[in-house]
Amino acid sequence: MESLLYLVLAGLMTGAIYALVAIGFTLLWQTSQTINFAQGEFAMLPAFFMLVALNLKLPLWLAILLGVGVSILLLGLAFKRLLVDPMLRHGVLPLAIATMALAIFLKESVKEFYSAEAQRFPSLFPEQKVDVGGAMISIQSIGVFLVAIAAVVALQLFLSRTRTGRSMQAVAQNPTVARILGVPVERMILLTFAINAALVALASALVTPIYLAKFSNGEVLGMAAFVAAIVGGFNQIRGAIAGGFLLGIVDNIAAAYVSTQYRAAIPLLILIVVIMVRPQGLLGRAEERTV
Amino acid sequence: MATDAPSAPAPPPQATPPLVPAKAILELDGVVAGYGRTTILHGVSFTVKQGAITTVIGPNGAGKSTVFKVVFGLLRAREGKVRFDGRDITNVEPRRLLSLGLCYVPQGRNVFPELSVRHNLDLAGVAAGSGIDFPARIAAAMERFPMLRSKADRQASTLSGGEQKILEIARGLLLDPKLVLIDEPSIGLSPLMVQEVFAVLAELRAKGVTVLMIEQNAKSALGLSDQAIVLELGRTRHQDSAAAILADPRIGQLFLGGAMGQTAPHVVDAPPLA
Ligand SMILES: Nc1ncnc2c1ncn2[C@@H]1O[C@H](COP(=O)(O)OP(=O)(O)OP(=O)(O)O)[C@@H](O)[C@H]1O
Ligand SMILES: [Mg+2]
Repeated sequence: MESLLYLVLAGLMTGAIYALVAIGFTLLWQTSQTINFAQGEFAMLPAFFMLVALNLKLPLWLAILLGVGVSILLLGLAFKRLLVDPMLRHGVLPLAIATMALAIFLKESVKEFYSAEAQRFPSLFPEQKVDVGGAMISIQSIGVFLVAIAAVVALQLFLSRTRTGRSMQAVAQNPTVARILGVPVERMILLTFAINAALVALASALVTPIYLAKFSNGEVLGMAAFVAAIVGGFNQIRGAIAGGFLLGIVDNIAAAYVSTQYRAAIPLLILIVVIMVRPQGLLGRAEERTV
Repeated sequence: MATDAPSAPAPPPQATPPLVPAKAILELDGVVAGYGRTTILHGVSFTVKQGAITTVIGPNGAGKSTVFKVVFGLLRAREGKVRFDGRDITNVEPRRLLSLGLCYVPQGRNVFPELSVRHNLDLAGVAAGSGIDFPARIAAAMERFPMLRSKADRQASTLSGGEQKILEIARGLLLDPKLVLIDEPSIGLSPLMVQEVFAVLAELRAKGVTVLMIEQNAKSALGLSDQAIVLELGRTRHQDSAAAILADPRIGQLFLGGAMGQTAPHVVDAPPLA
């Protein structure tokens, strides 16, 4: 049995990944009422873009960069223009259902056109372990954690310290008033989709060396992001971060102390408990939208 | 015509029309618009004189706010024309209207609740031309409204209703507009705050800025105004000097009485002074 410290540290790493995926999920909801049920597949797919680049003998850093770029084009801009815009005209629910269909399409496409087998994926970090207060933690885990945290902090700084970032917040808080002040609302929404794509692509590059690249990876990640976002309040980026870490830690502890078989049920259990005790989420506020 | 001149800060000295008629800064000509399939505005036409305060009155649902949305490019005019400063601005985007010198303060709450007061002000800078020293303008606005400085780093949602209105107005004025559209600024505010808001509008007029306002608080609004427009069922019913509209017993009965919660007498009293 692993020590509790080890489990918490491992949970922080998992949680950082969940947070990355959950933040984007929340951003899309905030700025364009998109509930992206394909978010997990969005975090699965970029690894395969990167694998294609690696198969062309490109170095890892370049493959990751290309993967992020292609993700921004396909999972950001094309997703917004070709699926979200046309579907949102019919309402939030038709769009949500369309993203479920997209999830299946992406998963089956990878299985069909790349491989149904798990693929090895090189890591950015060395294999060694280091001693952290008695727990042996892999440098890989520490690296994943630090890169994910750096991305989250950079995003937070962008959103709060730059006028463009605050324009994005303004669009989320009141799109009509944003437009009245001359904020290019459409461009800000498109930017959220691009940011979401970059975040999931980064999550993909970080997590795939550990779990291997497989078409079904999105199932766990998507569920985790969805639950983390709801647990955190759904309308708050801070909430998505808190939810991601909570889920990551509980997930690891439960896998060790309860059972690996019931591990998949843990997110849902947390979700049910939070919804019963605090329906607006841990950090959420009641939704209040005016036109 | 027995009229008491409205004794707002810079009233026209007499009720007789000036020799050189003031130029019209905004003209609506047969504007038709609505939501979805329903038509709300059935051909609205009026002119707004430069440098004056003009108030639009009319019963609830007459289409007053809808007129503003059309002027500011938030709702399409299906027919008709809107001209600003001699230029056709029918169905022009808000972003461009801002650069032409229009500004719009809608009805209700229009701050970004989770951004600070300072950042609410700063956002207006997205439409500022490159030659503008925007931080200096924010500093000047804080000079004029010290509350904005003392609460600069608070979330806008923590301000009172009146303070939020001041913030919205100050934010709108940062781009130095020529014409301010303001929809029911007094609604939900304390009498003291209403006075402050109306004083700001009078100050704008003194600086030559044109104000077009919608008000339910019609008696005090007309007392401050130079011109008035009566809108009913999506059509312009009257356009006249504010004093004439105030003195018109039919209008008093139709709108002012109702809006003031009085059992409309035939004679409307002289306007109370703001
Ligand atoms: N977004 C909208 N969608 C559909 N109908 C609307 C919308 N906004 C307003 N209306 C309808 O248009 C009509 C005119 O509304 P408008 O807000 O212009 O009236 P108003 O004169 O400003 O009234 P009030 O004094 O209540 O503010 C009303 O019947 C209203 O129900
Ligand atoms: Mg209205």
